[in-house]
Amino acid sequence: MALLEMRGLTKIYDQGKIEVPALRGIDLTVEKGEFTTIFGPSGSGKTTLLNLIGCLDRPTAGTIIFDGQELGGLDKKDLAIIRRHHVGFVFQSYNLIPVLTAYENVEFAIRLVNKYEKKEIRDRVMRILAAVGLAGLENRKPNELSGGQKQRVAIARALVKEPKLVLADEPSANLDSKTSEEVLQVMAKMNRELGTTFIFSTHDPLVMEYARRLIEIRDGQVAKDQRRE
Amino acid sequence: MFLTKLALKNLARHRNRTLITASIIAFAVFFYLLLDSLIGGMTEMSYEMIINYEAGHLQVVTEEYWAEEEKLPLKNLITPEPELMTAVKNVPGYLGSSAELNFQAMVSNGVNELPVIGRGINPPDFAGVINLTDYFVEGEMFRVGERRAFGVSPAVIGKRLADLLKVQPGDYLTLLVKDRHETFNTIEAEITGVIHTGNPLVNEGLVYVPLDVAQEALAVGDRVSKVLMKLENKNRAPGVAKELAEQLQTINPRLAVYSWDQLEAVTVAGAKQMGNRLIMVIILLIAAIAIINTVILAALERMEEIGMMKAMGFQTKEVIYTFVLESTGIGVLGGILGVLLGLAGVGVFTVVGLDFSGIIDMAPYGIPVVGKIYGVWNPLSFVTVFAFGVIVSLFSSILPAYWAADKDPIKAIYPK
Repeated sequence: MALLEMRGLTKIYDQGKIEVPALRGIDLTVEKGEFTTIFGPSGSGKTTLLNLIGCLDRPTAGTIIFDGQELGGLDKKDLAIIRRHHVGFVFQSYNLIPVLTAYENVEFAIRLVNKYEKKEIRDRVMRILAAVGLAGLENRKPNELSGGQKQRVAIARALVKEPKLVLADEPSANLDSKTSEEVLQVMAKMNRELGTTFIFSTHDPLVMEYARRLIEIRDGQVAKDQRRE
Repeated sequence: MFLTKLALKNLARHRNRTLITASIIAFAVFFYLLLDSLIGGMTEMSYEMIINYEAGHLQVVTEEYWAEEEKLPLKNLITPEPELMTAVKNVPGYLGSSAELNFQAMVSNGVNELPVIGRGINPPDFAGVINLTDYFVEGEMFRVGERRAFGVSPAVIGKRLADLLKVQPGDYLTLLVKDRHETFNTIEAEITGVIHTGNPLVNEGLVYVPLDVAQEALAVGDRVSKVLMKLENKNRAPGVAKELAEQLQTINPRLAVYSWDQLEAVTVAGAKQMGNRLIMVIILLIAAIAIINTVILAALERMEEIGMMKAMGFQTKEVIYTFVLESTGIGVLGGILGVLLGLAGVGVFTVVGLDFSGIIDMAPYGIPVVGKIYGVWNPLSFVTVFAFGVIVSLFSSILPAYWAADKDPIKAIYPK
């Protein structure tokens, strides 16, 4: 069953007198539960595509249907609501809030959803922190965690509200290969256990190794779309 | 609730910056409170000066004279008839009354000449309203009917005027006046006393002479400019003025009664106070600029964080809320600190006072106060300035917070 359907997706950036096309009519379908990697050279349009999928930006032309809902007619507020409930993000630079502990950084994502009781919030946060291998570190602040641990907190933060989709933009860029592998294992495990759809944007061959679907973007178009078992 | 927690935690994020901004607000609050206390004290003292040395609590005068009083006219005067004086003496809380005749004059010591206000008084009555006894630095007040050698009138002047004219008790002065027929006349006077009061006008601009001398020189018969009255309690003056005015209508419909708070000098003092409040608002605006600066700095530093928050589904208003609450927290912190400093500062001001005599002459600014000025407690100011500081912090952060929160999430996440 399709989580995402993109038809003729085009994005042109207007830079003064020059128009820079980032995406040129992309057609893609992403099924629920997929573990997909989008790769390609710098400037190929990977991040732009991820931003459009994540409701952070709007296409110049074309349509995106997210879980049966066409995003084209939604305003900023409606897009924010979709992000709040259904999309999790993992960023290259973690973007954790430094004044909050690991627990609070995760808690704040689930509180935003505003549908769980206090006790259930605590249970869910503790469970997800344990699942990403951070049991016992919940009271540490980001500056007391290693890069890998910070990225695990970011993954837990993205997953705790059980979104339909997690978008990870270069999640291993700031990590060494060993830590990258650990983090990827965590995400693969979450994908298996929770059935959450993951889409990565990366240059990292290690991330590609883990992916079950590889989409190569070149010059704003899908150059290759390969599934593997 | 979580956003509130986040905002409060952010307060401790850059402790030094929070403390510096809070200190600026604290200083503004503290300075406001000191100034407010000082101006309050100054105003209170200037009221007392006006009441104690110039005007008493009430003045019985004709409406026409009141309207032109600045010119010290010799028309529209009143006659202190027994019926009028009986009514005056029967008001509740009556302490004393004094009829006086004010006139323009040029005073000369034979060498120099200065413009002054001449004031004809009857010393025993005058002492019942305005007591100068303790302020004589040389000589004393003349007595009723007293005449010096060769029929010369006695006179009392202020110390500053005596210094300007280089005269002392026993020296002679000539007052050049115009009588009610516009004819020039003179009052020859010998100084019997020199006074130094807290009122600059009395010190350098007044010459007291016996009432009958003034009446004769000005050819006004037994008429006077006004009757001053002193009551037990100045706060009762407005009410008593109203009652007495109604009573006097049957005696002379032209008569009016004005209380001390209706005097022009008092109104000027009140206006000064308003002006100073404006200055204080400017001081607090400085605090607002500090807050705006802090919010912009914080927003620039946290741009990626704001982007992440928006990516997670935060609405613009929720991001604004965290920034505004953080700034309000700084305002509360600064306000508390400022109020505590203010309590100490005003406490010192009310007990020790501040001596302006060596620093600045306040008379040209319409504040008839010399010597030490003591602050006054104004609890309402503490509450108001605290609330104002918090509100200024809150409102001044909204625009920069909106600027930060309304950023495109992509530009916020990838600022470069």
